[in-house]
Amino acid sequence: MASHALTLDDAQYEEQRDHRLLGFLFFLISDCIIFSSFIFTYLYLRSAAPVWPPAGVTPADLYMAGVNSIVLFGSGATMHFAMESFKHDKHLRFYWWMMATILLGSMFLGGQAIEYTNLIHENTMWTTSIYGSSFFSLTGLHGFHVLIGVCFLVVVLNQTLSGTYTKTRYFGLTAASLYWHFVDVIWVALFSILYVWR
Amino acid sequence: MAVVEVSHATSDHIHPPPETFVQKYVFSFDHKVIAVQYFITTGLFFVLAGLLAELMRAQLAGPNNHVLSVTMYNQAYSVHGSAMVWLVIIPVLTGAFGNLIMPLQIGARDVAFPWLNMFSFWLFPPAGILLFGSFLLGAPEAGWTEYPPISLQEPAGTSMWCAAIFLVGVSSTITGLNFLVTIIKMRAPGMTWTRMPLFVWATAVTAFLSFIATANLSAALLALFIERTFNVPYYDPSRGGSPVVWQHVFWFYSHPAVYIMVLPAFGIISEIIPTFARRPIFGYKAIAYSSTAIGLMSFMVWAHHMFTSGLAQWVQLPFMILTMAIAVPTGVKVFSWVATLWAGKIRLASPLLFVLGFLSTFTFGGITGIFLASVPADIHEHATYFVVAHLHYVLFGGSVFGIFAGLYYWWPKMTGRMLDEGLAKLHFWTMFISFNATFLPMHWIGLFGMPRRVATYDPVYGDTNLFISISAFVLGASMLIFAYNALRSARRGELAGPNPWGARTLEWMIPSPPPYYNFDRIPIVLAAPYDYGQPLPYREVAPEYLAAVPRF
Amino acid sequence: MGIISALGMWGIVVFPIEDYLKEAAQQAADIDWLFKFMAFFSVPILVYVNGFIIYFVVRYRKRASDSIQATGSPIHDHAGLETWWTIIPAALMLALGLLSYNVLPKYYGAQAATVTMEAIGHKWDYEFRYPGLTQSVYNDLYLPINVPVTIDITSAEARADDAVIHSFWVPEFRIKQDMVPGMVVPIHFTPNRPGTYRIICTEFCGVGHSHMWGSVHIVSQAEFDAWFAAQQKQGASGGPRINVATGDAGAGQALFQQKCSVCHNAAPFDQRKVGPGLADIFDDPQHPTLVDAKKANPADVAEILEKGYTGSMGSMPNMQANGLSSTDIANLIAYLKTLHK
Repeated sequence: MASHALTLDDAQYEEQRDHRLLGFLFFLISDCIIFSSFIFTYLYLRSAAPVWPPAGVTPADLYMAGVNSIVLFGSGATMHFAMESFKHDKHLRFYWWMMATILLGSMFLGGQAIEYTNLIHENTMWTTSIYGSSFFSLTGLHGFHVLIGVCFLVVVLNQTLSGTYTKTRYFGLTAASLYWHFVDVIWVALFSILYVWR
Repeated sequence: MAVVEVSHATSDHIHPPPETFVQKYVFSFDHKVIAVQYFITTGLFFVLAGLLAELMRAQLAGPNNHVLSVTMYNQAYSVHGSAMVWLVIIPVLTGAFGNLIMPLQIGARDVAFPWLNMFSFWLFPPAGILLFGSFLLGAPEAGWTEYPPISLQEPAGTSMWCAAIFLVGVSSTITGLNFLVTIIKMRAPGMTWTRMPLFVWATAVTAFLSFIATANLSAALLALFIERTFNVPYYDPSRGGSPVVWQHVFWFYSHPAVYIMVLPAFGIISEIIPTFARRPIFGYKAIAYSSTAIGLMSFMVWAHHMFTSGLAQWVQLPFMILTMAIAVPTGVKVFSWVATLWAGKIRLASPLLFVLGFLSTFTFGGITGIFLASVPADIHEHATYFVVAHLHYVLFGGSVFGIFAGLYYWWPKMTGRMLDEGLAKLHFWTMFISFNATFLPMHWIGLFGMPRRVATYDPVYGDTNLFISISAFVLGASMLIFAYNALRSARRGELAGPNPWGARTLEWMIPSPPPYYNFDRIPIVLAAPYDYGQPLPYREVAPEYLAAVPRF
Repeated sequence: MGIISALGMWGIVVFPIEDYLKEAAQQAADIDWLFKFMAFFSVPILVYVNGFIIYFVVRYRKRASDSIQATGSPIHDHAGLETWWTIIPAALMLALGLLSYNVLPKYYGAQAATVTMEAIGHKWDYEFRYPGLTQSVYNDLYLPINVPVTIDITSAEARADDAVIHSFWVPEFRIKQDMVPGMVVPIHFTPNRPGTYRIICTEFCGVGHSHMWGSVHIVSQAEFDAWFAAQQKQGASGGPRINVATGDAGAGQALFQQKCSVCHNAAPFDQRKVGPGLADIFDDPQHPTLVDAKKANPADVAEILEKGYTGSMGSMPNMQANGLSSTDIANLIAYLKTLHK
């Protein structure tokens, strides 16, 4: 269907973009709900546990995660600037902001990997305790979404470079940007309840 | 082929006509073809799940039978329940009826995302294969609810069950958002929300429930699968997990799910009564707003399935109150439907007969639901045959009767041919009587001591169970009447024409079966469709369709 | 319709639930009353809904003399009617909610219980622990009449494969509580009618779920004291978990056909299938010992059924694999006692 985008007249494109935007929003909402289910599970298990973290379990480090969070939120800012640049036809700037976003997103994933390795060395693993199961499930699900997001950004950057998007027709970019902000918002929630709330 | 006049007033464009066999019938974008695909697949699963039920009833015909081993019996009721909920009722009401009728009723050429529509459908046969295939590796035994910890201990078939239902969940979510975008954005010019047919209202609320609630099921299944496969603790109490968490997350989906299973049936009822009573639906706004209220409230009542699970009293109270409250809008709808019959000019054709059957059995089921809403009463009734009776009165008496009403109503539109009325009436009466004979006695034995999910039972319930089993076989056999009628219609059914029932919604303003592009021109809508006696409120519809005269 | 309603409602009021299901605990009467309240108002709703459907379909049918175009009344709604049929059900629901709320404390409020004990669900037996008894009592729960009781309900956790959800339901008490591993939930009731009532498991727990039955015996204080003293005497050695003295031979026969007849005949020893024939197992002078060299008496037969056997003569599954509860074994023993050549 995407190949029809250039063959539609403006009115038709507008309409299709409206539909796709709404559909994409609904998709993001249902994705939020998957996270909220796992968050509920975590909150329930945590409040039912006599002590948290459970005895003998080394929790994740707040400061490292804090740095990682700044990286991720920074990538949200760069994404915003990228979109602004595109809308004002500043394609070179757009390119650099996008690269920055992709870079920061990858750094976040790298940071997660390091964090996971540290925890595994402390014997906090996915399977060993309900702290592990909650922590790795939530951050893992989120990390998976970030990975998809980075791929999405790479694809969309590629498409921009080959001229798929024009100043008035750039739904793919909008979707990627929305998805990336969604990933950021989820992280705000996860960071608060997994790290900040002791 | 007629020239398709694509008007630019509403950015009207249609995907190009399909040419090859594969494009036309296998990987079609056309919502009508996808609907037929759903009908055929859900029909097949209905037969399979129904056969499982008959096997179960054969085992239960006597208190200590060995028609099935205990393990096979447990597997039978688990797969029966799972298949009926996820492979039959939800897909047929959303994927089949929703796809077939909703775009036509809003005057659209297709849904918002036809490719996603096709993708949604094709997730569905693999899901069915996985679910029934689980018998090969040890099908799940703990019912369609699969509570841990026992579901953690079951063999590999349970993981197949998780995967199957996950696929159905993805399909359901996509269909839901597809339909809601379609209804919000693609209604014909002039069709405001209060001029929409009530089936579209029902589909809209159902679509909303589908993509919001199903995500919870996906999360729960994912967690169960991960715990079983990778030993990650969520639900296992010996490792700090909690079985009650599964119950919360599962029921947070499954209660809206039962409304997904019944709201479209409500929509079908709302379409059929005005057509055959030939007067406006009574209380259009009340019905539309009640449907919305029911949809929203359905998210607030889930723990009424958990009253014996050890919840604190202060938690149980609000759920009890909200569950009782949700009965009020439901009652408003039943009363409105009955009031539509008042002062009508009623033609008692087969679709209306099934509707009347629905009204009788669903009302009964709704009332037993109230018995279950009260916490003290529920404590006695929970997990007994009283609940089995209740759920079948609302899901079979409600949804299945609604499905057959819709099938008999829209068959001429879908196929261009009529079904035989005599056979239809025979089907109805056999089904209605044997249905009540099967499920009514279950209330009794449940209240007096027969639990659920047992392959053998105290002989004191033997006679009643034998009676139920015999009635159940008659109920199953009654479906053959419909099958025969369907086949006969295909070969020598009377040609239907565009509007055999003289109805007023847009799907009847086009030929039967409709062309791939649905409408020559997108109609313009001036009023709600149910004002029998007034001229039809449409412009841009060819005059030959505006007659709307019934056959009898 | 009014007459049918009135008849129905009167019928509900006078219906003797007691004749069909005894009320054996203090709150049972309240639950039954609540049930009757709901049924009482359900009758007119059902009668009138169905009645109006039938009446309207007949009275307002299209007659042959009507034109093919004939339509019905154009009335869309009626504010008054719609208001009433919203308010009245809402009021009924409110009443029901308040009445139900009233009854709730009787389940959840601890009323100075005199006896507090534990019930633990296993696959597929009920274990009862009394304060003052070192050993557990299985499947037969004795309670003194008119004494408030609190039972802490939970499920076994010792073995991972034993830890599943069960349920403790006594229909005559109108009380049910799921036995969830990892949770302890107290139930409170006061039994007020002597007799023996069945405890039924209503939460699927594996292949023995259909047979997971216990019995609760409500006896006088004196009888309870005597029973308790006898239990204390048996003391730490623990009475046999399986009661080989009493059992239902009829149920045992059905079980035998279902489970045992694959490998054993109900016939003399020599008529072997996989295992020997089991007739006269307890008094066959030619075969006084069992396959594990123990004496052929009920207690040792029960032990083989419980633990299974693997050895030079072959192997027999244990009770878990066979899906047998202790009650089942007792019933089988009773049946075997009746099997003569």
